[in-house]
This record gives sequence, C-alpha cells and structure tokens, in this order.
Amino acid sequence: MRTAVAGSCIPQVPRTRFSPSSESTVVVSSGAVSTSEHEVQSRAFEQSMNPPFGAVTSFEGPNAHISLRGRVDDVAALELAAALDAAIDREPTSMVLELSELVFMGAAGLVVIANAERRLATTGVALTIQSPSTLVNHLLGMMEEARVERALPGSGHLGPEQLDGVDVVSQRFGSSMSTRDLRRVAGMPTDPDVVDGALGLVVELALSSIGDADGVSVSLMRHGVLSTVAASDQTIMAMDADQYATSEGPCVDASVKGHWFHAESLDTETRWPAFTPRARALGIKAILSSPLRAFDQPVGALNIYSRTASTFEIKDQQAAATFAEKASVILSDAHIDVGDRQMATRFQEALRSREVLSLAKGIMMERQGIDEEAAFGSLLRHSLRQGTTLRARAESVLLSVRRSERELEGDAP
Amino acid sequence: MIDPGTQARDVLDSYRQEAGLSRGELWLRYFEMGGMSTGFELEAYLSGALRPSPYDRDVIAHALNERFSELGANHPVRYLTEFDG
Repeated sequence: MRTAVAGSCIPQVPRTRFSPSSESTVVVSSGAVSTSEHEVQSRAFEQSMNPPFGAVTSFEGPNAHISLRGRVDDVAALELAAALDAAIDREPTSMVLELSELVFMGAAGLVVIANAERRLATTGVALTIQSPSTLVNHLLGMMEEARVERALPGSGHLGPEQLDGVDVVSQRFGSSMSTRDLRRVAGMPTDPDVVDGALGLVVELALSSIGDADGVSVSLMRHGVLSTVAASDQTIMAMDADQYATSEGPCVDASVKGHWFHAESLDTETRWPAFTPRARALGIKAILSSPLRAFDQPVGALNIYSRTASTFEIKDQQAAATFAEKASVILSDAHIDVGDRQMATRFQEALRSREVLSLAKGIMMERQGIDEEAAFGSLLRHSLRQGTTLRARAESVLLSVRRSERELEGDAP
Repeated sequence: MIDPGTQARDVLDSYRQEAGLSRGELWLRYFEMGGMSTGFELEAYLSGALRPSPYDRDVIAHALNERFSELGANHPVRYLTEFDG
C-alpha cells in the first residue's frame, strides 16, 4: 500500500511527446538541442529535479499541439514566443497549449501566450489552454483583475532598474484574454522559488496597476525574521531593509499586527521616528502596507511606495488589499506556513493536544479494559453528546483522575 | 463499477476545501486527534490513491467536523462508526 503512496508522490519525469501520426515535430529547448532519444532519457533525472524549459510542437493535420515543460522565465519566454510564432505561421485551424508539465510561468510567459492568442484570433482560431496549474490560474486571475482595476499602465519607477516584465504586462492589459476560461484547476505542489516568482509577479502587477505607485515590494516572515522576497527595484529593497533595521515602519507593523498601515505623507508622519527620515532621504512621500496572511496569521506585507504625498486614494487601497489577498492565497496554497516561531507554537499546541488525548485514552483503556480505538470512540461519543471538542472531553477525563487521586490522598491516614 | 471508497474520499476532500483547510493544517488537526498516518498518506487518502482504515477515516471526519463547528456549522461529515447513538 505504501508503494502506491510513493508512486503518486514521485515527481513525474518530463516526457517528450511525439505523436505517431504527426506530420512533423519541432523541438525547442534551452541549452543544447538534443537529437537522440537516448540523450533525452539520460537527462531525464536531472530534468526531473529542475526541469529546464522545453516546448514540443506537433501537428496532426492542421491541428497544432504545443506542450510546455519546466520553467518559463523571461529568457524562456522568448523561446516560447518563437515556438508559438512558428506554429501560427503554419496556419493551424486549432491550437492546444498543454501546461501540465510546467513548473513555473512568469509574467513574460503569460504575455507571450496572450499575444499568441491575439494573433490566432485574427485568423479566427481559438487557443485552448490545457491543465494550467492552480498557481497559473491565480496569476491569470490577478491579471484579469488588474486589467479591470486600471486600463492603462502605471507611472514611472523609482530605482535605476526597471523590470522588463512590467511593460509587457502593461501592454497585456489592453488585450482581451478570457482568463475565466482558464480557471480549470490542476493541483500542483509549489516550491519556494515558484512562490517567490509568483510574488514577483504580484509586485509587477501592483506596480503597473496602482496609480502613482513608484515602487512595490513583498515582505515575508521566514525563519522568524522579515525579509523582502520580491521588490520592484533596489531602492525599494533598501527601503524595506531600513524598516527591518529600525524595527519600525508600516511594512513591519502590517506584517506583525496584521492590518493595513497608510502613511499618507511622510513629511508629517510621527509614528515611525527612526525610519521616516531614512525614507524621506530616498524621496519617498507615501507608503501603503497591506498585510499578507496564511492560515489566519499575519505573515508579511505588500508595500506600495510613492514619491507623491497623499496620492493613494480609496480605490488604490482597495486594489492593494485585493493584491494582498491574492498573494495570501498563493502563500496558503503553497503551504508556506506561518513563520517558524508561529509554526513552532502551533506544533507545540498540536503535540500538547495529542498528549492530552493519548493520556485520556490510556486511562480509559486501563479503567474499562478496552483497546485504543474503543477509547477514542468513547471520547468522541461523549464529546458529540455534550457538544464539546474532543480535547475538552479528554481534559475532563484527566481532571476526573486528579480528583479521584485527591480523594484517595484525603482518605489516606 | 463505482468503488464506494472512492466516493467517500472525493467527499472528504471537498469537505476539506469547503472548510477552508489546507492539507497541511488538516493533517495537523488529524495528528492532534491521535492520527498516525503521515502527511503523504493523508494526501493519498484525500486524492484516492489510498483508502484509510475506518478508524483513520473517522478521525479525519472528526477533524473536519470540529473545524465546521468553529465556523458555526453543524457536523456535516458522517462517521463510519455510529458515534451519535
């Protein structure tokens, strides 16, 4: 029986699909182009651990089928664009994009897909996307909401670096991808890298859809300390670091207290005396931090910075809250559990509950001469009858023992 | 042929989603109640790859039911054993 579990948990080795009836097959893959089946297989193990991007196009008559695997980062997105263009050039009458072996899809990849869909639409062909992961679904959903939020891209950036993705994402907002059609879910485990990538996209989307946002970051509690896992540029990174260093600021407060903080104008701000001057020195005038939550616990914050004071309006605050909510869902789905310290507390509590229950079962087994499962059944029956939790029932069993022990002591001479 | 066990498992996972519990949190609650299966095994029960013992099935059911109680609902998940009698 255990074999079945192991079998279902081993990551599937990415397969290269060749349709036997296909007229031709084009393989695009990052790194060396492998020509022999043997080479493909010998790389299978390595690929299963960290699969590189690959796109396999096959044609069955006029029907195109493109299967993606691995990670679609910014570089791979270019290869993806080439593969899609090549397929569209052959004027297919249908096109299916298979995503079941995809590990990660960044903003650029989503944009490439959207562009291909638009190009296909001009010839009256619909693009069918198969098996998008839960994560990709969330991202597509977010893009949809961002588009609703604001039709035009946001304003400038604060630091020297600009994320290429932002502009392409912004272009994307004008198109008409029906992301609702893509909401079919295929459960997918996510690793921290993938989650960081997704949070990076949240940053890009928030930056381009919230008016007057000059910088955005996501802070997350990991190993008991707050750190920035995604930021729109280095200045924003520094801004977050200043808050961690001084243990104050809207980002720290939102992460710890679990509700949002809005510094409308840092010129008149008094709540964070150590941090505020540092932010002003970098030209920041307004900050809006919304909490991220996982399992009902605050675990971080989505921070939006602007050079313009009093710029964030109610609708920006609502948009920020929506993005923070989406990011929270990603965190919860990814089993990024609450910070280590909180997790340790939760585990301690769970262990204590288990101990109480196990002691109560032991007492009942001894007293009533029953087995463990029967003792559990008896506890459960009582708790259901009294409308209490199983733990409460177990505690009352333990109390009854202490009481009778006291009585025994009282009887003793 | 419909396997009655499969139906039960599908129902368990849909209850889990309805209760807003991640698989990790459900496992923790199951563990609190004395459950002995690993997180992997619990996931296998939920996905249908493995069938839990009747005892495990009832512990999972109760972990879900206590969660529903917290949310102000009744105990919608049925037990295999008659506890209510």
